[in-house]
Amino acid sequence: SEMSKDMMPGPYPRTPEERAAAAKKYNMRVEDYQPYPDDGLGYGDYPMLPNKSQYERDPWYQWDQPDMRHNWGEPMHWDFDMYIRNRVDTSPTVVPWHTMSKHFFIFLSTMLIMFVLGEIYPSYRPVGPKQYPFNDLYLERGGDPNKKPPTVIHYEI
Amino acid sequence: MASAPPPSAAKLYRPNQYVSLPAELDPDTYDTSPEKLRAEAERLAIRSRLKRQYQLQLNNPNRPAVIENPALIRWVFAKSQNVYPTFRPTPKTSFLGAVYGLAPLIFWFFVLKSDRDRKEKRIQEGKVKRPFSVFF
Repeated sequence: SEMSKDMMPGPYPRTPEERAAAAKKYNMRVEDYQPYPDDGLGYGDYPMLPNKSQYERDPWYQWDQPDMRHNWGEPMHWDFDMYIRNRVDTSPTVVPWHTMSKHFFIFLSTMLIMFVLGEIYPSYRPVGPKQYPFNDLYLERGGDPNKKPPTVIHYEI
Repeated sequence: MASAPPPSAAKLYRPNQYVSLPAELDPDTYDTSPEKLRAEAERLAIRSRLKRQYQLQLNNPNRPAVIENPALIRWVFAKSQNVYPTFRPTPKTSFLGAVYGLAPLIFWFFVLKSDRDRKEKRIQEGKVKRPFSVFF
């Protein structure tokens, strides 16, 4: 596009002047601007914004893009496409996270242990082998119709 | 001796990395210092300047067909073209690259090869009939 090179993201800012210039480039306050830590992962000077999804933004404010809850020119989070309202939601939960995960894992592990025990020690009512009619389904199993089938009697009188 | 007062709701809630703290438990909402007010005012100034630029372009009678958003362009550039120039091989990135890039390849190679060798051995011994397949 027609944007100049210094309007585009660049390498990690080292001096305070570079930081101030980068903050101005991204339309942020210098105090707010915090780049990702420089460990060579490829972020450059992109600002590290708080990991909050678009769900948490005010639904009643007049955003420029109401579905994205995003204003024109506002710096977008690195994972913006993850935090849209159709996807990941970081709104505060009613129940604390550790309580939720504890309840879930207790339930899941109990059910799994019971299923495993049921597999190792099965218990059901006594059963016998299944009895089929018509001489053990002689014709259905491909027996010769011209020959006399072997008689199979399942009962005792 | 009286016991300690019950822990605050914020401590009970225990902020974590997956969800944010509710606004009522966050001490930041109750902070009304002048620095915070000045920070909010500066942010509002930036926001209103950007909104004014956008609204001027939007309500322009000769509106351009697409009002390009420089923040969006920067985001796309940063994620696609700015990764390679800013990448640097460090111990952490090489380790991550090995774990995510090489390890699955090597792992699946050994799993599939050993599985196929075992099947071939069983076919040679005659336990399993070789399946007839035209394509592979």
